[in-house]
Amino acid sequence: MSGDKPHLNGSDPAEKGIDGSEDVEMKEGSQNPKKALKLNKDKDGDDEMTVVVPPAKGSNSPSAPEKPTEADLKNGAVNGDAANESEAQVDPQEKVILEIKANLPLLERGVIQFDPRFSLRVLRSIPSTRKQLSAYVVATVVTDTYPIPTATAISLLTAVKDDPSFPTQKVEDWHSKKDTSLQKNSQKEILPEIDIYLSILVQVYLYDKKSIDAGAQFSSALVDHLRTLNRRTLDPLSARVYFYYALFFEELAPLPPSPAAAVISIRKNLLDALRTATLRKDQDIQAAVTTLLLRNYLSTSHITQADLLISRTKFPAAAANNQFARYLYYLGRIRAIQLSYTEAHEHLTGATRKSPTAYKASGFYQASTKLLVVVELLLGDIPDRAIFRQPSLEQALRPYLQLVEAVSSGDIIAFQNLVQRYNSTFRKDDTYTLILRLRQNVIRMGIRMMSLSYARISLRDMCLRLGLDSEESAEYMVAKAIRDGVIEASLDHERGFMKSKEVGDIYATREPGDVFHERIQACLALHDESVKAMRFPMNQHRLELKNAQEARDRERELAKEIVDGDMDDDDAPGGDFEGL
Amino acid sequence: MSSNAPSLDSILHTLQQYLSHGDSSQSQPQLQKAKLALLQHNALIPSPQTPTPTLAAARSILEAGALLSIRSRDPESFIRYYSQLQPFYDFPGLQQTPSPNRSKITGLYLLLLLSQGDYAGFHTLLESLIVAEGSNGASSVEDDQFIKYPIELERSLMEGSYDQVWRKTSGRHVPGEEFALFSDILINTIRLEIASCAARSYPSLPIASAKNLLFLDSEGAVTEFAREQGWSLEEGRIYFPGLGDAKKAEEGDQKEVVSHMIEYARELEMIV
Repeated sequence: MSGDKPHLNGSDPAEKGIDGSEDVEMKEGSQNPKKALKLNKDKDGDDEMTVVVPPAKGSNSPSAPEKPTEADLKNGAVNGDAANESEAQVDPQEKVILEIKANLPLLERGVIQFDPRFSLRVLRSIPSTRKQLSAYVVATVVTDTYPIPTATAISLLTAVKDDPSFPTQKVEDWHSKKDTSLQKNSQKEILPEIDIYLSILVQVYLYDKKSIDAGAQFSSALVDHLRTLNRRTLDPLSARVYFYYALFFEELAPLPPSPAAAVISIRKNLLDALRTATLRKDQDIQAAVTTLLLRNYLSTSHITQADLLISRTKFPAAAANNQFARYLYYLGRIRAIQLSYTEAHEHLTGATRKSPTAYKASGFYQASTKLLVVVELLLGDIPDRAIFRQPSLEQALRPYLQLVEAVSSGDIIAFQNLVQRYNSTFRKDDTYTLILRLRQNVIRMGIRMMSLSYARISLRDMCLRLGLDSEESAEYMVAKAIRDGVIEASLDHERGFMKSKEVGDIYATREPGDVFHERIQACLALHDESVKAMRFPMNQHRLELKNAQEARDRERELAKEIVDGDMDDDDAPGGDFEGL
Repeated sequence: MSSNAPSLDSILHTLQQYLSHGDSSQSQPQLQKAKLALLQHNALIPSPQTPTPTLAAARSILEAGALLSIRSRDPESFIRYYSQLQPFYDFPGLQQTPSPNRSKITGLYLLLLLSQGDYAGFHTLLESLIVAEGSNGASSVEDDQFIKYPIELERSLMEGSYDQVWRKTSGRHVPGEEFALFSDILINTIRLEIASCAARSYPSLPIASAKNLLFLDSEGAVTEFAREQGWSLEEGRIYFPGLGDAKKAEEGDQKEVVSHMIEYARELEMIV
């Protein structure tokens, strides 16, 4: 899938437009546009493979500098971030350091208030800090955060110490002050959430550096460490750790799909994590690890295992949108391979709808649309042409557009040429085997075209036009097409021709009803999903209950007062009269 | 146990000899002996502790077992052998000496899936084969005669060019004697397919043409087959019974519409 990079970063004007606007907005972030572009590429590269970034990312990262301040303002806690921003323009590195540090209180607050939204916000800020991440940044943050060198801090530093920008002097100072600050450390303990957050930053840094071996090692140790922790506030962060863990191993030699691929070695760990997560009802990790496992199995084309995993596990309904999109994509792929095209179509439609369509994160969108197009063709439908006009898809889907054209015109020769010409592209997209299955659809479409245009046509002519070997083949094929309901016709064996039946009024059939039903179903599903997607704050219902209780009390009091009042009223006039 | 070491090779040797002579009565007990020996050598499942030559011998014994069970028409036992062989094929220690029989076994398994109508399994396996081929730059799957055969058969079956299937399953197109054992099953499958197609697409058919269409040997066989299918024979022509299920389908339609409406009503109620 990474092969789409050239398409993505190719000549498209849209790309330049986006980069341009980004440069304007992020003047302080990227003096070096070339570097920014390169980092974008990397990011795209990993978006290609899987949706790394939440859908909001496309719009999020350009405005990232404002983001934390905005968020903090909302929470009534301005950490002097606005002031920092002007300083930050001087040195982007310092700015990132401040940003990272600003995230740490958020994590703490997340732990105290037991609200995963804070950790999610921190995770969302990773893409923007990513561009400036360096050994210097990591080391500075670590030395400033940890009052004394703990085991975690040291492991974080060792992971980045091979870089030239590593501030050796500073770290040595930090090591030496170990004794003096020993008494102070009892005041404040570093939360595991912060450990893990910084570890994720190191993972990202190593991945961008392409130090795959070091990254794999670091991640393995990290995952082992994670398994000893049991904190619900850690879940969103751990899910991200597992993601990078799998990513590192995917790029370790021997690469999949060799039977000895490195990815196979992490299956046990991932399965363990899945089991633990399921037992702890930890939906973040459960969702993340399930998709990782599916991806892992599919990369070595262990489709049966993937299928078994799906049938034995339950994907958490409350999973994040992008995890869900990925899950649906893999599910769609598996079903397509197993020839359950209708099911595959359903899943893939879900995946494409849920996927981020922003230009920068379009890799997943492209991959799922490609598969969707092929599955639609296999179902005998012709995909909507508008799909191919979207700017994020136009380049990448060009071979598929031609494929659709060949299939819809029933041109078997053009189809075969296409398959040959784009052999490597289709193989890279993992759609090759599916496309090979399309041959019969092309023939059917050809038969259909002929049946529509001729009232009567000899089998010999059909055979020539379809490019078949023999008249007999043509006869069998037409017979099969008639049986499967592709065409309305009958055959005359003795005289060797096909006679089409009059095409009836389509509105007299059940076709419109079916289409209508499908749409109603989609609307209802949308409604259900929107209800499910609404956020219900924790304990809010109790507040409401309390309010309701209070209201009821008030009402009762009121009623009582009214009753009393009535009596008063009854009394009062009497009294008044008395008075009068 | 080490005293058995030479016997494994010798057992394999005699087994292969029996196999090549097609002597199934002799090879069956020999295979039992071989499996017992495998168990003693702890070579039923490949592990790094077992020496590579032993594993290679074990692989050959299992392959022989697989071929033997195909010959004795025992698909279940073949599937068992096939599953046992998979870890051997993927075992890193044996990658240097790939088995010459691997593609044959895989091809037979594909054909078995095809004859059982398990298209999902067929394509699942095919997918993994093609993916593996694309990566290693190894010989193309479609160039291998053993694997090419089931792939082409499947393609013809799916397209509906049954004459191609007929031609491929009979005579010299079949790549090996084990493959020929499936021909009968496949021809039977396509005959039924053709019959159901013919019933829909021809108003009537002369018996002589039906004989050709259905790949039957004589007109008597056609009459027999037609009776099985419930077709009526008049004046040397076959008349297919009218499509009585059209009406039934309509009834089903109405029921479906009603059930849809009730569903909408329920959903609306939930929303409002």
